[in-house]
Amino acid sequence: MDDDMIFDPTLKKKKKKKTGFDMEAALAGEQGENTSKEVPADLGDVDVDIPEDDNLDLDNFGKKKKKKKKAFFNLEELESALPESKEEPAPEEPEPAEEEPVDDLDLDIDFSKSKKKKKKKNIDELVAEDEYKGEDKENVEDVHGDWVGSDRDYTYDELLERVFDIMREKNPSMVSGKKQKFIMRPPQVVRIGTKKTSFANFTEICKTLHRQPKHLLDFLLAELGTSGSVDGNAQLIIKGRFQQKQIENVLRRYIKEYVTCHTCRSPDTILQKDTRLFFLQCETCGSRCSVASIKSGFQAVTGKRAAIRAKTA
Amino acid sequence: MSIQNLNTFDPFADAIKSSEDDVQDGLVHVRIQQRNGRKTLTTVQGLSSEYDLKKIVRACKKEFACNGTVVEHSEYGEVLQLQGDQRENICQWLTKSGLVKPEQLKVHGF
Repeated sequence: MDDDMIFDPTLKKKKKKKTGFDMEAALAGEQGENTSKEVPADLGDVDVDIPEDDNLDLDNFGKKKKKKKKAFFNLEELESALPESKEEPAPEEPEPAEEEPVDDLDLDIDFSKSKKKKKKKNIDELVAEDEYKGEDKENVEDVHGDWVGSDRDYTYDELLERVFDIMREKNPSMVSGKKQKFIMRPPQVVRIGTKKTSFANFTEICKTLHRQPKHLLDFLLAELGTSGSVDGNAQLIIKGRFQQKQIENVLRRYIKEYVTCHTCRSPDTILQKDTRLFFLQCETCGSRCSVASIKSGFQAVTGKRAAIRAKTA
Repeated sequence: MSIQNLNTFDPFADAIKSSEDDVQDGLVHVRIQQRNGRKTLTTVQGLSSEYDLKKIVRACKKEFACNGTVVEHSEYGEVLQLQGDQRENICQWLTKSGLVKPEQLKVHGF
């Protein structure tokens, strides 16, 4: 009988989880408010919360339920608003008008991709959690054995502890501090002949970083101390021999200085030019700070002096 | 009894000092440039003009077993040039000799 007692609640909870999914679906339809008001009396409330937490854990964690829902809408709005905000700096640049829509489209595609990925991950996690939950609950109930048979009300402290235990189990990264990984495709660097190097996915990387190709180009050339240009196939041709890891190194430095926020290290930033200075505006924490201007500095004479003299004269 | 106006405080002390400190924030830029083949050139820009760069380059040449020279530039002042990739060496040497603080060093290049 005890086994049945243990297994029954999990079954019920699984059903409740389904209601949880429905709630998520209903979130779009704004019916979530009603269902959420019904649920909190049950123990299942705690469990229903968790899938939502997993959806939202990146941004708002530890807020109360109703707030979460509002935050959820805000998030969606934000995400939909992001491309627009990215579009704003675009018209200022002297790019030909034909290219701009292409850029914007790509931005949109990027966003949708990332969204899909997130959702897929979440679904996987949820599926995995369904399996986990049965075990977890048994464990929890073993610890708090007095919860199983009795109808008594649970104290706030008990429930709070339970929620935090579950959250820590599900998100180990949260305990060790937030770590958002910034995944980028490696640069494709190919030697052309003996003296030139091609950086094939240069424009692609610019798009993933949301930076103007010109800005990245300036930085790369200043750091490497060479000359180069973007050719017809949207690849960068640099003079000199460079290996992929060397370019990676320089890119990493660029990202550290000009892409990630200096305060919260989020890559969700916009680079604006304001009175001859570049400012990095963070979309996550709202901080705004100036970044170093790109200077190539002193360049020694490496070519043949006679050739230079012939050119200038 | 102290009258503030009579204090011997030089209001331009900061200005004079910053003009002596080469360029902005007194950063020392260490760069690398590729030459023909696998040859490279290391340049050190922004060393304070208080130091005798010729003596520095003489010491560096002996220490790293490379050739080097001091180049005069209209905008960046005197710039040290060393043959080969001496970025690591020069950084260690400059900090060890106490000419430059480690946080003032800025290494460029791959």
